[in-house]
Amino acid sequence: MSQTTLLERVEPVARDVLALTLRGRHGPLAPWQPGAHIDLSLPNWLQRQYSLCGDPADPDRYRIAVRREPLSRGGSEYVHLFLREGRELTVSLPRNNFPLVPAPSYLFVAGGIGITPILPMLRAATALGAATSLVYTGRAADTMPFAQELASRHDTRIGVGRADLTALAADLDPSTLVYCCGPEAMLAAAEDAFPAGQLHVERFRPRTWQFPANRPFELVLARSGLTLPVSQDEPVLDVLDRAGAGVPAGCREGVCGTCEVTVLEGTPEHRDEVGGAADRLYPCVSRALSDRLVLDL
Amino acid sequence: MLGEPGEVIKAKVRTRIDSHFHRFIAHSPFLCLATTDAAGYADCSPRGDYPGFVKVLDEHTLAIPDRLGNKLADSFTNIADNPGVGLIFLVPGHRETLRVNGTAYATDEPDVLARMQVEGKRPVLATIVEVREAFMHCGRAVVRSRLWHAESQALAEEVPSLGQIVADQLALDAAAVDADLEAAYKVLY
Ligand code: FES
Repeated sequence: MSQTTLLERVEPVARDVLALTLRGRHGPLAPWQPGAHIDLSLPNWLQRQYSLCGDPADPDRYRIAVRREPLSRGGSEYVHLFLREGRELTVSLPRNNFPLVPAPSYLFVAGGIGITPILPMLRAATALGAATSLVYTGRAADTMPFAQELASRHDTRIGVGRADLTALAADLDPSTLVYCCGPEAMLAAAEDAFPAGQLHVERFRPRTWQFPANRPFELVLARSGLTLPVSQDEPVLDVLDRAGAGVPAGCREGVCGTCEVTVLEGTPEHRDEVGGAADRLYPCVSRALSDRLVLDL
Repeated sequence: MLGEPGEVIKAKVRTRIDSHFHRFIAHSPFLCLATTDAAGYADCSPRGDYPGFVKVLDEHTLAIPDRLGNKLADSFTNIADNPGVGLIFLVPGHRETLRVNGTAYATDEPDVLARMQVEGKRPVLATIVEVREAFMHCGRAVVRSRLWHAESQALAEEVPSLGQIVADQLALDAAAVDADLEAAYKVLY
């Protein structure tokens, strides 16, 4: 499912960061909750995921912020050099792998462009009357989007360099939930510092994992009754495509959650970063541990 | 007999990739790369991928990924012997083509290859082109050839498949060659 938008506004919000405002082409856009992201389809056939950082109460607009990556593979560079205001852009429905779970208090930890999903969460938590605090760090002050508007908040600490997450964890109340989004080093440090039950993290890029060697298995599609062999070299997503049972895909790297399917039988081997329920499979990267995997397709 | 190119056209020959040329390359999924070997024999090979697969590293430098099936060896041996290259970039639907001439060398520089990752895979090597000149080539050839007309696609039906061609040449079974080829095309990266 996709939605057509018009690129209403492009504005710099930090060094190498542009904020894009997308307005629904045919009326209101699908609603979203803080923490949600969309897939943006670029004219050069690439699809990229961006967190929504605008106001969920505005039904007509999505806002995203895009940092130009020095080693861009063609996504962020395209946005920065070639997108112009007024052009039409296709986006997916919002998806939320990082929802705000109700809690009396929250600690938000953001690094650089990782502030984007945190921004609407912070506003929503404040509006709900929860106690909030934000620790926001970056490589240099001018690389940190929205730092100025956040600096006026009393609950916010903004700094250059690394946040001392161990110290934050030592003071953490057991009823506080921690939401963290930023570069991989920060996420890894957060996973070390905070108790797993209190921590939620959002990854934009998959970690580099070492997986056991791929093994072939048999895929059964319960609804269509198809049985498909999956060889060791082929992603499940491609096998489904070829069988005419394709599912929509976004990142193809196991981070966005677009390709989600339900497992009815068998043991999936989760290789994704989405962190969905155990019976959900992200066939762009995930495979099976059992010799047979039955999907609800 | 051939006439001189008009002043306007001549003026458009640049020695660098300006923002218009950059935009053209960022939307081009296909190019032809011409090289010559030590003896002066020429070779021309197609390259293609998603639009913008050729990276503009700076206004004097391009990087072309070298993936499966590019018949790498010929271009690389040629470039090692004779670095002069000529490129023609095409943008589907666009009448004009972008021509870039320069000198080339192969690289395995990780930062360059990282920018060309597709479906998690990096190319093994990239061809770096140092731009000597770049210019738009007038669209007459594309217009006359009706290259982008949908009806023109029917021409392909009149031409035998690669399987048939190879099978005739080598006295093999055409269907088997075509099936092998379809299987090979499934692995693009
Ligand atoms: S396509 Fe993004 S998780 Fe599978």
